[in-house]
Amino acid sequence: MIEPVQSTVWQKLEPILSAAAVPLLAVLTAMLVGAIIIFIAGGNPLDAYWGLLEGAFGSARAISETTVWATPYIFAGLAVSVAFKGGLFNIGAEGQLALGAVASAWVGYALPDLLGLNLPAWIHLPLAVGAGMLAGAIWGAIPGWLKAKTGAHEVINTIMLNYIALNLTSFLLNGPMQDPNPLNVIARTPLIAEGARMPPIFPGYRLHWGFVLALLVALLIWWVLNKTTLGFEIRTVGANPNAARYAGVNVARTIVISMTLSGILAGLAGAIEVTGLNYRHELGFSIGYGFDAIAIALLGKTNPLGVVIAALLFGAMRNGATRMQFLTQIPTDIISVIQALILLFVAADAIIRWLYRIKVGEEKLVLTRGWGG
Amino acid sequence: MRKFVILSLVLAFVLMPLAACKTSKEPDCKKADVFCVGLVTDVGKIDDKSFNQSTWEGVQQAQKELGAIVKYIETTDAKDYDKNIAQFADANYDVIVTVGFALGEATIAAGKKYPNVKFIGVDQFQAEVVPNVVGLIFPEDQSGFLAGALAAMMSKSGKIGAVLGTDAVPPVWRFGEGYRAGAQYINPNIEVNVVYHNDVGFDKTFTDPEWGKTTAISMIDKGVDVVFGAGGKTGNGALLGCAEKGVMAIGVDTDQYYTVPEAQSVLLTSAMKLLTPGTFALIKMAKEGKFPAGGNYVGEAGLAPYHNFEDKVPADAKAKIEELTAAFKSGTMQTGVSPAKPQ
Repeated sequence: MIEPVQSTVWQKLEPILSAAAVPLLAVLTAMLVGAIIIFIAGGNPLDAYWGLLEGAFGSARAISETTVWATPYIFAGLAVSVAFKGGLFNIGAEGQLALGAVASAWVGYALPDLLGLNLPAWIHLPLAVGAGMLAGAIWGAIPGWLKAKTGAHEVINTIMLNYIALNLTSFLLNGPMQDPNPLNVIARTPLIAEGARMPPIFPGYRLHWGFVLALLVALLIWWVLNKTTLGFEIRTVGANPNAARYAGVNVARTIVISMTLSGILAGLAGAIEVTGLNYRHELGFSIGYGFDAIAIALLGKTNPLGVVIAALLFGAMRNGATRMQFLTQIPTDIISVIQALILLFVAADAIIRWLYRIKVGEEKLVLTRGWGG
Repeated sequence: MRKFVILSLVLAFVLMPLAACKTSKEPDCKKADVFCVGLVTDVGKIDDKSFNQSTWEGVQQAQKELGAIVKYIETTDAKDYDKNIAQFADANYDVIVTVGFALGEATIAAGKKYPNVKFIGVDQFQAEVVPNVVGLIFPEDQSGFLAGALAAMMSKSGKIGAVLGTDAVPPVWRFGEGYRAGAQYINPNIEVNVVYHNDVGFDKTFTDPEWGKTTAISMIDKGVDVVFGAGGKTGNGALLGCAEKGVMAIGVDTDQYYTVPEAQSVLLTSAMKLLTPGTFALIKMAKEGKFPAGGNYVGEAGLAPYHNFEDKVPADAKAKIEELTAAFKSGTMQTGVSPAKPQ
């Protein structure tokens, strides 16, 4: 009489497992190929992976550090996912994130002086985070608006806006916003006011409320995408803009909203790094998160919950890399290689399907379209 | 499908504990007779042919000559400085070397947190005295002096130049004025054009290769035949200007033969901060219990190998440079350059 029970459990599990099969196998395959590369490079793959595991989860501190890495990955991964759902490829998360961090830092350190009063935390912190979201929103909305109004491709425009954002950040941190302390030679802002900082969750650990917020935002995004009219419109435009138009969806408006939402999430990634972790912005912090986010979104199949898992995996790998290098003296570049392999196997999933003889097809996701699409 | 999912999950769960069986056999740095040295890079690679690599070579020398256990960690994101330092400190390393001024604050903070570990902050001027933290800094004026002396000996036109970042930054001032003093020491009548990039903000003074290049070229057009480029990318721009004009150039900080390969054909030498011997000297002091009690330790200056100019620099010029280098090292000679620009 146990048989039927098992089968209902299986029926519930199977769709989840089959959706996760390609990403899981992509990770496994990438790790195996990575092991071969480590071996060729003269290292011991078992030692290396053991170091990686120990560095990522081996102690309370290690787990805390993994969440520190995963937090911006979750926000930025969600940002790219939302755009993907709307049929848009947001390569600009890096720039949106940088401007979010800059705006948040500025509100964090300059606003009390500007107003001539000390803001209480319950006003200052939301203002600082909100400023980061606003900056990201504007930087995301521009390519969205250009796409909706002129048909200019968002891939080109987000890449271009990245250059503007990153150089603008560099200018601001080296010039008008640089920490005026005479001993400071680093391109960074002053520390933000106490009121704009998120309190630590456990003293002595860097795990911060931003991680909790990231999980909540992931749930919120899942709800918006799957349970609201807006989410339905975004997904419909993403799947087939012509069908959406015939169904009465305002396609141009939806494109702008998708990109703005995407920008808000990327800006949030930057704002949380500033208010929750670093308490300032500095060149050298958060390099490449916006680009890693693309891999995370694809690995998570653009599903918000999948993104959380993918972000934790990437965060664990980045965090564990230090311990791996400490134990084995293998270049940490190997982690980038493995992450690139994961992306390759997820994107070219025919390889994985052929390798492991998976026959079941799945819903194709439209990631982006050509000109005028 | 089902079979395969089960199979792959089983495989994953078998592999995990297999990896876990591996026990690491780490050296026990806690023991008094085991001397461990760890190095944390700035954001960048250990083989950057610049600061990270030169410092690591000093650590490797300690491995060879002092029998030290040595390891490095490459920093990939600035937020990991503390974590990477802690990796070594928690493993009871005796000495931790941090590379570059960006790690200055993280090094001081770690020094207070781990009072039993000795910290060497390479190219970090440490204003605060923490007994177990020493900043390794360099006499830029001597380095510039040697470059100026060589330039004066190599110049045929009697006109030499220097293209630098802003003189508001003391090391840049010392490089530039040291260069002037060195050239005049060899030839009191030489014409020395020292140009600081003071006309722009701090944001641009070290990142303006275009200005560096055009300034160098305009000097060359006026007859200058050796140019010293010092000041990050601005100085590198000057080296490129020399390469374009086929005029001798002198680099700065590390051996720029490797960091600006486009200028290899014209690069006479580089005015170096000798990171490798400085790092080794401090590690050796730590091993022998003679580590300075906080503050800063001034390393040595010197010129990089002549590379393509090995045969073109006359023997007496080489001898003069060696003589001056030795005189600075022994302290019998001073450059007379003030530590910073007089206000």
